[in-house]
Amino acid sequence: MTMEKEKQEYDVVIVGSGIGGSIVAKTLTQAGKKVLLLEAGLEAGIDFNKNEAFNNYMGYLDTFYKTTAKVPNSPYPELKDAPSPNVIDIEAIEPCKPSTKGYLVQAGPLPFGSDAWRGPGGTTMHWLGSTPRMLPNDFKMKTLYGIGVDWPFDYNKLKPYYEMAEFEIGVSGNVKEQKGPDVKVDVNYGKGYEFPMKKIPQSYLDAQVINSLPKGFKVHFNGKNHELQFVSTPQGRNSIPNPNYPYTEVVWNKTKKKLQLQSEKRWNTFLKTYEKVAKQEAKYQPVGAVWDDHQGHRCEGNASCVPICPVQAKYNALKTLRKSDPKNITTITQAVASKVLTDEKTGEVTGIEYKKYKDPNSPVFETYLAKGKIYILAANAIENAKILLASDIANSSDQVGRNLMDHLVMLTWGLLPKKAYPYRGPGSTTNIPTMRDGDFRKDHAACISPVDNWGWAWPKFSPGSDVENAVAQGMFGDALRKHINDVVPRQLLLHFECEQNPEPENRVTIDPNYLDNLGNFRPVIHYNASDYLKKAFAQYKKVSDQIFEAAGIEDFTEYTTQNPDHVEYEGKTYNFWGAGHIVGTHRMGKNKKDSVVNENGQTWDHKNLYLVGCGNMPTLGTSNPTLTMSALAFKTSEAILNHLNQ
Amino acid sequence: MLKHTPKELDVFLSISSKLTGFKEIELLATGMTGVYFNTITAHTNPQTVALFYKECEQILSLDNEKEISKAIKNELIPDSSYSGLAKQIITMWYMGTWNSEVISSSAYTQGLVWEAAETHPPGAKQPGFDSWSSRPI
Repeated sequence: MTMEKEKQEYDVVIVGSGIGGSIVAKTLTQAGKKVLLLEAGLEAGIDFNKNEAFNNYMGYLDTFYKTTAKVPNSPYPELKDAPSPNVIDIEAIEPCKPSTKGYLVQAGPLPFGSDAWRGPGGTTMHWLGSTPRMLPNDFKMKTLYGIGVDWPFDYNKLKPYYEMAEFEIGVSGNVKEQKGPDVKVDVNYGKGYEFPMKKIPQSYLDAQVINSLPKGFKVHFNGKNHELQFVSTPQGRNSIPNPNYPYTEVVWNKTKKKLQLQSEKRWNTFLKTYEKVAKQEAKYQPVGAVWDDHQGHRCEGNASCVPICPVQAKYNALKTLRKSDPKNITTITQAVASKVLTDEKTGEVTGIEYKKYKDPNSPVFETYLAKGKIYILAANAIENAKILLASDIANSSDQVGRNLMDHLVMLTWGLLPKKAYPYRGPGSTTNIPTMRDGDFRKDHAACISPVDNWGWAWPKFSPGSDVENAVAQGMFGDALRKHINDVVPRQLLLHFECEQNPEPENRVTIDPNYLDNLGNFRPVIHYNASDYLKKAFAQYKKVSDQIFEAAGIEDFTEYTTQNPDHVEYEGKTYNFWGAGHIVGTHRMGKNKKDSVVNENGQTWDHKNLYLVGCGNMPTLGTSNPTLTMSALAFKTSEAILNHLNQ
Repeated sequence: MLKHTPKELDVFLSISSKLTGFKEIELLATGMTGVYFNTITAHTNPQTVALFYKECEQILSLDNEKEISKAIKNELIPDSSYSGLAKQIITMWYMGTWNSEVISSSAYTQGLVWEAAETHPPGAKQPGFDSWSSRPI
């Protein structure tokens, strides 16, 4: 084993090229700072040369076509030297016998239900792209409902960074249509605020569901009636540019010491510099595919956002990374961060040790040390916690790895009375916000409830299973074709994505008995669902029953103990699925006693170490966390620029 | 009608049409006929295949659709017939799989299930922006 020091010392060393790391890399390099980016995945995935980028991505697409189980990670390389958690490996856990089938060591009692991808672009390569904001009340869970903790700041503090995140991701949506508990458009978004692009059209299926319910339809839960509302979902996929959207780039204002959305200049990825924006020019330009700026300016309805958008009309972090100033960024791939080194006296981080491999499946590697003034871990909530634990740092609060959260998705499915033609369009274009906030949060979890456009694909592997079952029953010929044509177009799936509360025993730990191919720790996950969630499942199953009955939907929902994630509540079994929203493992807070980082993502224990990603979130809210995490990444970028300019 | 060599390929196409509920021309349009025929040959006992096509030929020569359908149901569909080959052929056409493995990228994108469900294979043959807000064409 050799230990070589990088020759150059950078302003900032970033671990991970997902959306968190890419936002910091882009912002800092455009502001003139020298960045070293370490990426655990393969070189090919980060090559922005037109042909290489295209061929590599088409390789992902082809792998997706050829893979039988088209799970979120299926298009992307699975590497022994930088393994990823994969939903395919989830299995029931026997008492006192962890499941070691996949990369995660699942100690249970329930298996953690979500995956992530460790590679260029991170999990945004297969995210769905929904970008609702958190609600103002989500930031005050302890004060309002006695649950979890409050955030170290309120909603208003994050608002300008939400706008930056919505610019960067390229959100399509209609602000005026946003409604539901704790949503007042003028308050949540500010008067006159609009999204960069017009809303993604809601599906024909959405309309069938909405129109099948009587006007003013109310659902009963937690002892009260609540009007059921439907909202178009803001999402990070390209639509028609909004001519009223005024901004062209997030730019560092040195004088004001702030990041600002402005309209005078934009980053030109071809010229690799800022260009002036003419007054009469359209302000917002959709960002196309990384191999060709002219492809992917509109969603084309491929209906495969998860796991892969063939034209990159859906946002992924490579689009942001590509806007980094190439003069100021050095990227080292196939470089797996293993340990953060600190000075015992000062507590300052002195370097990040990483293992560089050539063959992704060979245990052979060389160890290097990356040096910078400031260090940023942006490797995802599980990996960040794992690296910190492996380095035995940043943990004076004993909160590192704890409070692991996800949305626990209870699915319900049925057959609509008429065809609504699912398996078309983006995964979801409408959500029910009715259960996102209310006094009931004292008793049970809140949830967002997206209407799914892809039939029963998630819980039942439809339509493949529909064919298999029909054929197994002896159906063939015209009868078979008619049967598929009758059933599949009537499939409806609703999600009840329940907010998990922070619990110290839901956590990531490490154990020297569980190492990967390079000798790095595999995350050991301890996970359970509390009564706060089980009670929510019971309430929301009844909500689903009421919706199905009123809309004439025949319920086919079936929860079994065969599903690895099953719980029992008051004599009934419920199943849940992971949402891929891995959150909370190095939470931010107001003081170092009970949090790992401050409101800027700076670790309390090490002044020059910042953490970026969903791990910073003290609570989850009901929104998909990527937008909020991106807003936080801009806030951290601003803090780092001020830190460097001190 | 003897369009193909070997002649079993014609039998395969004709019986595939009866098994799937898709017209021969629809099956030919997928471009997968030859690939699927060869997949069977490569993975099935040759004697079983030969006997299967022989019986298919007899069934296809029956007088009317009702008779053909009845014969398929009784002679081909049972799992005990020809190692369940008929069912495998249906799944192959609908899903592009053989023994649960995707045969090729084209086999996936040409799966008949998508057409039967009035949609397109996810990730391919995209219908275009805003198409999902109306009924399928």
